[in-house]
Amino acid sequence: MEELKKKLKEQIIEALNLQDTKPEDIDDNAPLFGEGLGLDSIDSLELMVLLERQYHIKVEDPREGRKILQSVQSMAEFIQAKQPA
Amino acid sequence: MKGKCYIQAMAAISPQPTFEGDIFSAQLVHTDSNLLACIEPDYKPFIPGNSLRRMTRVLKMGLTAALKCSQESGITIPGPIITGTGKGSLQDTEKFIKEIAEYKETALNPTPFIQSTYNSVNGLIALQQKCTAYNNTFVHRGFSFENALLDSMMLLQEGATHTLTGAFEEITKEHFYIKSRIGFWKEAPTDNRELYRHLSPGSIAGEGATFFTLTGTPTPQSYAAISDFRMLYKPRGGKLAEALKSFTTSPDLIITGRNGDSNHEHYYQELDQCFPGIPQLPFKHLCGEYDTAGAFGLWLAAQIIKAQQIPATWFPGTEHLSAPVRTILFYNHFYGEQHVMLKLERV
Amino acid sequence: MAERVFITGIGMITAIGDNVAGNLHHLRLQQSGLGYSSYIDTIYKNVLPVAEVKHASEALFALAGIPVKEGYTRTTLLGLAAMREALQDAGITDVQSAPTGFINASTVGGMCDTEKLYFDIINPEKTGSFLQYIDTLDCADCTQRIADTVGFSEHIATISTACSSSANALMFGARMIKQGMLPRVVCGGTEALTRFTLNGFNSLKNVDKQFCRPFDQQRTGLNLGEGAAYLVLESESFARANNSRILAELSGYCNTNEAFHPTSPSPDGDGAYEAMKMALAMSGHSLEEVSYINVHGTATLNNDVSEGKALERLFGDKVPLFSSTKPFTGHTLAAAGAIEAIYSILAIQHGIIFPNLNFSERMEELNISPVTTLMEGYPVNHVISNSFGFGGNNASLVISKYEG
Repeated sequence: MEELKKKLKEQIIEALNLQDTKPEDIDDNAPLFGEGLGLDSIDSLELMVLLERQYHIKVEDPREGRKILQSVQSMAEFIQAKQPA
Repeated sequence: MKGKCYIQAMAAISPQPTFEGDIFSAQLVHTDSNLLACIEPDYKPFIPGNSLRRMTRVLKMGLTAALKCSQESGITIPGPIITGTGKGSLQDTEKFIKEIAEYKETALNPTPFIQSTYNSVNGLIALQQKCTAYNNTFVHRGFSFENALLDSMMLLQEGATHTLTGAFEEITKEHFYIKSRIGFWKEAPTDNRELYRHLSPGSIAGEGATFFTLTGTPTPQSYAAISDFRMLYKPRGGKLAEALKSFTTSPDLIITGRNGDSNHEHYYQELDQCFPGIPQLPFKHLCGEYDTAGAFGLWLAAQIIKAQQIPATWFPGTEHLSAPVRTILFYNHFYGEQHVMLKLERV
Repeated sequence: MAERVFITGIGMITAIGDNVAGNLHHLRLQQSGLGYSSYIDTIYKNVLPVAEVKHASEALFALAGIPVKEGYTRTTLLGLAAMREALQDAGITDVQSAPTGFINASTVGGMCDTEKLYFDIINPEKTGSFLQYIDTLDCADCTQRIADTVGFSEHIATISTACSSSANALMFGARMIKQGMLPRVVCGGTEALTRFTLNGFNSLKNVDKQFCRPFDQQRTGLNLGEGAAYLVLESESFARANNSRILAELSGYCNTNEAFHPTSPSPDGDGAYEAMKMALAMSGHSLEEVSYINVHGTATLNNDVSEGKALERLFGDKVPLFSSTKPFTGHTLAAAGAIEAIYSILAIQHGIIFPNLNFSERMEELNISPVTTLMEGYPVNHVISNSFGFGGNNASLVISKYEG
């Protein structure tokens, strides 16, 4: 889980081109949208693409996406739940 | 077009050092790659990092030139925003076409699609300036900037106090190759300093972002007045000469879009015949050829008429004006199809 | 006093008809043009519904009135078909008979054809007649081919402001007339379906797998469509001197920007509210005089909330009859503003209100719902037609019955 979260942070930084952010700057439970990293609705679509390209998980409904993409923690939990052990 | 408008402020990102510093002492950037690429400024003072991270090159260039122009205008209330671009963001268009193929239409990032939309730069300018006024984008090759200018002049006539009017264009390696397949560029490597000495098919490629703040009344800051303006589509027979002669009689200086392309040089020769003995300055060796190069040409003309001076290193051999320049005739065409003539007056 | 601007000719082609009469016929039958694509090369062919014009490009040459030749994209052919009808409808046999401008609108130019050839175009090892299509990708290509075919040379322009493009083209043409620059301008837009655009909207998760449901609580997105439409605009003095048959008046218009988000409107519809309010003010008519609103109504989550809120803010509890005709035609992007302007004229001419198909449940955010049944014999005097696009671009037109 810890490894997955670390990798996820690196992938988020790369996918969204967060140039001045380092993985350790992102708190596991901090909100990704709004006040936290300051991401917007286009970023949320890009993060869904990240899940699809890197983890082969397809999120169809944007409303469902919002829940999954709350934080790195929620994303990691979702990925783990979806992936075969 | 009836009525005058005034250039209150302007900003240009181009292959020459036009964004900052004094252009009258600037060096001439040269290359023999047949592709003049822009000198990009530091965008950070203009665009917040969180917005900058997604933007591709032409979006950054367009937005930054627009914001610099607004700053220089001293006008704090944003007004209508009107732009022209022939090709929009080529980088984003190319990227989206390729990702559709690469990912077989699944898992696509929307960003290149959004940014490939021709009016995305306009949207960004409005967003950053919190500007809710009129907003329009023209996309018609050598008439893109010119229709934006026409729209702006109409808005001023209708009562707008000022407009933010500009153009932006980029050239990518891929698009350079595509256009080379239909003879847009010279085949032999040509140094831009020698452009007019090598009359052969095609020109050299360029790009740029140029913005103007236009007002309906002059101010002490005004660069120049645009006092007349005409577009001519595919003029045949003697139509161009006829239009040029009826447009103006004896300008003090002519600025032309001459570009060393032998296929369409005859239009510039018609101009020569209409106005013998009047000094001419061509500008395409500075910016290259592109859909909205006319905006750069207008920027240069406005600089010269305001300063009553020619950027010396850019025009070796003609660096001095022999007489005061009260009026400038500007004439440009894009591959023989869209022709534009503008009259500039000293304020 | 600036001249009034009259509409004296209309022409169109959409998924529900090859001409104005065909469109009216299917509107009356309440028959949607939505279905599955026969011509786009996409994995979503049988997944995402589109409103496609029911002719292969080869057959469109006949409608466009030209022999089959390379370099003419589907965008150009659709445009030519609509242009022919508009000119004929206005009784114009020679566009050079009076100074006539042409203001076109396009969102992706000839992408429909170039996207099929793009990888050959960038491959130095490939060569052949496809090179004729190289310069058809930009938006000016279709405009110039249409202009050159029918003979426009006075003033040409192409506008691209996403989904509001052709509404802005109409506005630009009307302003040129009011400024006395031209007595006659033909304005509109053309749009062909492309894999590029379909994937673009799909990447925004904005496309419904079912037929789109504007203003419905369960809506999940739009369906794309294709088509073209042109309107002949004339100054009052020219129309009178020329004895033109006047179909309607373009009495008001306004363009505003939201400055809110690159692709989403503001939740309260600030831009839409301003655009409608100012357009109506320009027309000189009151809120009560508006008989019908042809809404933008794309059926995306955001548009319909925003536009609905704007309607409620502007009209209070007296919101006029309104409907989205996008379930008939799909969202035709650059052509939508002109197509819907023609539908507004048809509503006035025939006293009809078109139903908003596929509606069943009012949105929780709104107190209003669209017209769901065809209404005939209803007096329609003033119509607002809305077109809102990416980049926060909002355009509203007011089209009024001609009463001398």
